[in-house]
Amino acid sequence: MQQTVYKVIGVVLVLYSLIFGLLTSIPDLPIIEESIRNLFYHVSMWFAMVAMMAGSFAYSIVFLRRENLHADRRTAALTETGMLFAFLGLFTGMIWARFTWGAWWTNDPKLNGSAITILIYLAFFILRNGIEDQRKKARISAVYNIFAFVMMIVFIGILPRMTDSLHPGNGGNPGFNSYDLDNRLRLIFYPAVIGWILIGTWIASLRYRIKNLSIT
Amino acid sequence: MLKIGLLLQRYAKQELRNSNAIFSLGLYLIGITYLIYLLGGSNASDNSWNTLLWVVVFFASIMQASRSFEFESGDYFYYYQSIAGPKETIVAKLIYNSLYMLFLSGIAWGLFSLFYGNEVYQPIVFAIGLGLGCIGFSIILTLANGIAERSGRNATLSTILALPLTLPILKLVSTINMYAMVGAPFDETATIIGSLVTLDIAIGLLAYILFPYLWQD
Repeated sequence: MQQTVYKVIGVVLVLYSLIFGLLTSIPDLPIIEESIRNLFYHVSMWFAMVAMMAGSFAYSIVFLRRENLHADRRTAALTETGMLFAFLGLFTGMIWARFTWGAWWTNDPKLNGSAITILIYLAFFILRNGIEDQRKKARISAVYNIFAFVMMIVFIGILPRMTDSLHPGNGGNPGFNSYDLDNRLRLIFYPAVIGWILIGTWIASLRYRIKNLSIT
Repeated sequence: MLKIGLLLQRYAKQELRNSNAIFSLGLYLIGITYLIYLLGGSNASDNSWNTLLWVVVFFASIMQASRSFEFESGDYFYYYQSIAGPKETIVAKLIYNSLYMLFLSGIAWGLFSLFYGNEVYQPIVFAIGLGLGCIGFSIILTLANGIAERSGRNATLSTILALPLTLPILKLVSTINMYAMVGAPFDETATIIGSLVTLDIAIGLLAYILFPYLWQD
């Protein structure tokens, strides 16, 4: 029962945000204008990615404490799902940047952060692929994953706040910070974030079950 | 504490016996600095000077740290297990690698000053930035090297693992050093130095906690 409830809620919330994200009225801001709707599709990807990576971080700690290989499979499944969201966030952001800033890629702290995040987790998969012994692989990749997650949070959460960014709401750019992320946007944005996190959890649980079946 | 001191002595002795390693690092530093000089580095702006110095220091630290566990491979791993626990090992390794890196980056700064002139306006702030950066590099590279060593792979893996992780530190220290070169007011620099110190302590603790899980068979 519980298993079905969260999936249904996830699907409903994502459909709601996809449809009403295009229909809702938006604040009239210079430069970003209609592209502010990307808040629902692009920013929610990053929130979902951080949630997936936080989950995989938590399961890595569980593995180191209990030496349970199920926790390791959950770590791998959650990281793979997180990577999916990272690439989706990157592509939606690049398309948006092409039309708002006029370039596919700029030297912006948030863009650097996402590129580094992807490199960190690609290295994680390379590390995992190279080790034969299951327990050794789980232990070593858990150590790397914990370290990598902390560095990722530093890079995407702390450093961009110390320097100016081209992103809306930073460095005097019009955006959706406290005074203009108005309630109309919030009403769609928060459900979109929760919906995508639930969908991500669903994808990760499917990946986990596939891994459990292919292990024997 | 005593064990850490003994381990440090042992690492230093090993390094001196294999003196070709330290000479090759020194030759790398001199060679690369002179190469930059030949390619017109003496006309570099402050910004390029800082970038070049960090690239040189960064690759020196990768080369230095890639040999972190070369004496603990194979059967020697069990020998070191029997004389020291993982906690002593990681503390000794971190202290040793950090000191080594401080030494190398000091030489790099000296060579840069010799060839291109010392552009730094606040040498103390610059030295603090350089030192904190080297400590951060050593922690990340030592852990990445331990991971690569335990997974039984070659040195390429440790670079792949460490490179993206070192970038936050590289970004912070190059900002500090840029501030030191243009002579920014100290309270602005102090916040960045503070965050870098916090980051170094945090990753140091993390390496200390995680290493015992790595250092077992």
